[in-house]
Amino acid sequence: MTNPVHVDPLITETAHRLFSEVCDHEAVQLAETRGEAPEIWNAFAETGFPWISVDEAAGGSGGSLLDALEVLRVVGYHAAPIPAAETGVLGGWLLAGSGQELPAGIVTVVPNGGSGVSGSVSGDELTVSGRALRVPWARVAERIVVPLEVDGQAVVASIDAKDCHIEPMTNMAGEPRDTVDFNEVRVPVAPTAAGIDLEAFRFRGALSRAALMAGAIEKMSQLTVSYTNDRVQFGRPVAKFQAVQQHLVWGAQDAALARMVAETAAREANRGAAQFEIAAAKLIANQAAARATKACHQAHGAMGMTQEYPLHHLSRRLWSWRKEYGGDAEWTKWLGQVAVSQGADQLYPLITGGSANFN
Amino acid sequence: MRFTPTELTGEELELQQEVRQFLSEELPPGSHEPCLGMAARKDKDFSLKMAARGWVGMALPKEWGGSDRTAVDRFIVVEEMLRWGAPVGHHWVGDRQTGNVILKFGTEEQRERFLPAICRGELGFSIGMSEPDSGSDLASVSTKAERASDGWIINGTKIWTSGAHENDWFVCLLRTSPMEDGNKHAGLSQLLIDLRSPGLEISPIPFLDGSHHFNEVTFNEVFVPDTNVVGDLGMGWHQNTTEMAYERGGPDRWLSPFSTVEQLLREARGTELENTVADLFGELVARWWGIRNLSLSVARLIDTGEAPSVESSLVKEMGTRFEQEVVEKLVHLIDLEYSPDSESLFERLLAQCVVTFPGNTIRGGTIEILRSVASKGLKGLPT
Repeated sequence: MTNPVHVDPLITETAHRLFSEVCDHEAVQLAETRGEAPEIWNAFAETGFPWISVDEAAGGSGGSLLDALEVLRVVGYHAAPIPAAETGVLGGWLLAGSGQELPAGIVTVVPNGGSGVSGSVSGDELTVSGRALRVPWARVAERIVVPLEVDGQAVVASIDAKDCHIEPMTNMAGEPRDTVDFNEVRVPVAPTAAGIDLEAFRFRGALSRAALMAGAIEKMSQLTVSYTNDRVQFGRPVAKFQAVQQHLVWGAQDAALARMVAETAAREANRGAAQFEIAAAKLIANQAAARATKACHQAHGAMGMTQEYPLHHLSRRLWSWRKEYGGDAEWTKWLGQVAVSQGADQLYPLITGGSANFN
Repeated sequence: MRFTPTELTGEELELQQEVRQFLSEELPPGSHEPCLGMAARKDKDFSLKMAARGWVGMALPKEWGGSDRTAVDRFIVVEEMLRWGAPVGHHWVGDRQTGNVILKFGTEEQRERFLPAICRGELGFSIGMSEPDSGSDLASVSTKAERASDGWIINGTKIWTSGAHENDWFVCLLRTSPMEDGNKHAGLSQLLIDLRSPGLEISPIPFLDGSHHFNEVTFNEVFVPDTNVVGDLGMGWHQNTTEMAYERGGPDRWLSPFSTVEQLLREARGTELENTVADLFGELVARWWGIRNLSLSVARLIDTGEAPSVESSLVKEMGTRFEQEVVEKLVHLIDLEYSPDSESLFERLLAQCVVTFPGNTIRGGTIEILRSVASKGLKGLPT
């Protein structure tokens, strides 16, 4: 397996073109009303994008994790209302990593490491019971994938969505985050390959969100620069006012910062150990989202507070994604323990060397 | 504007190790009073030792005494020096910007005269930009250079001149032809001035804590020969803007409080404080890692021959605010009455940060000016 450092620009271009065609403001709004966006998903699936980074031998589309995360960044940029992260980067990874088949349709994953859901093994059979909260897009999924730890062993349950009870719920952006009840669902036991467990899943989920958030912040920053250059008050574009320029600069900084950390974490994750980079990238994305949404909303004035203007597709997603796969406190604490255990003399080498310094 | 992620190559990592080795021998951790970033002590002996390693003016060509190293190599050396709190004050300005300006715009004779001496760590430079009536509106400078035979006669005043009382040379932005209506950027030139010139008077402007960094430099009929004009007459504004890209966005804009933070961890070791500060360290390592990646990518961009003024302004605006935020977080968390004469080194450093860091978002261009520079380069939605 190769470990490329750069993404094939064709992937970025193709993804942007695809979403520019099928995923405009109205389409995103409509998806929120309907609770699904089959046209957008079908166009996305036709390109093979959902399964990038999953080995072809396992039924995926091949390609690197770097490529897959670049697609997620573009998904975030267009606020595309589809379970792109869940299907390939998370679900496909869990399925392929436990020797299980990929379905033709949508996959989702139970995000909280199975909290509220338990499994018990009897012979070759795994029985799954309990209630999973905030499962992305469960209502449109073909399979619901549950990573679990049973008797100290990491296993992955691949469950037919028809065998669950699904209660539609949403996040702050109106994206499906459903409640799923498992009532003694029986599936074959599928132990995972080395390195695929609940902890690794948590980090990978955080990495997927950092990529989505980087895209959304970048689009939000561009939207704000455009809007403030068009909007005229006191006889000139409001972007000419220093007080407004401050918001534009802060938004652009956070866009650059979030993209830099997401891409750097992606590069390291594509190579191997990347816990430090992923934890730091998610924490920084969370903070950047908080600052940038504030700056961009302020620069937009009342227009940004309306449903008819697209800013909210991005800002509401960012507020939701900030809390998914680890909010500020979780990653701050994780990083703090690493930093303090390194000690004073190794503090700077940790900043320059990252995960390579303590794994 | 695009910050492309980059990382250090094998050779660059070797350089980083070499610098760390040098510093751990010269300034063993915990054994010296660290400086707070670029406002570092001037220690000519230390500068000479660094120069002997080829680390001063290192990005300059070998034919002029440099090492032909890259902006990224220089980034590595500077980063290690600053995070260690090394006394880099003597060679700082010459290494960061004056060498580049002379290489890029100077005459052969100027290169021969100044560059090898900069690379040997011998020369200290001051920067002559601000004047009593020209701060953020730099193009309004009025210190005049008037034609004389074989040179120029200078009259006027420069202000906030760091280190003029100790340095050797002064790179000044002067008006060599009168201000034209509507084009204040024209008619400015950069001149190299000997700080010991007759008629040049240096008076201290005490810093708020009583220390001596700032000066007022008054020119009273100071003669500067033609051979000391840098670049083309009237192109001073353009040259100065180019120089700013080197000055902004480097590790000196986000590392100033690092040695204070590191010392806190050293002193908290094994005490109750260690738990109190853990979360703070979690946030700080993440943010330093993030901003370092941006700053490193600017250095990489400079190596492709660009002068990334928008990118470096963004990093500097963000970095200097971050430095102040770090100090505020420390102040908030540490319930002690620290002062410059506290027994603990951490407390002394923190006291110094509190008192001097308001200047970090002012020096070398206020963050308000940086926002104005940066916002001109921001892109809206692709069309």
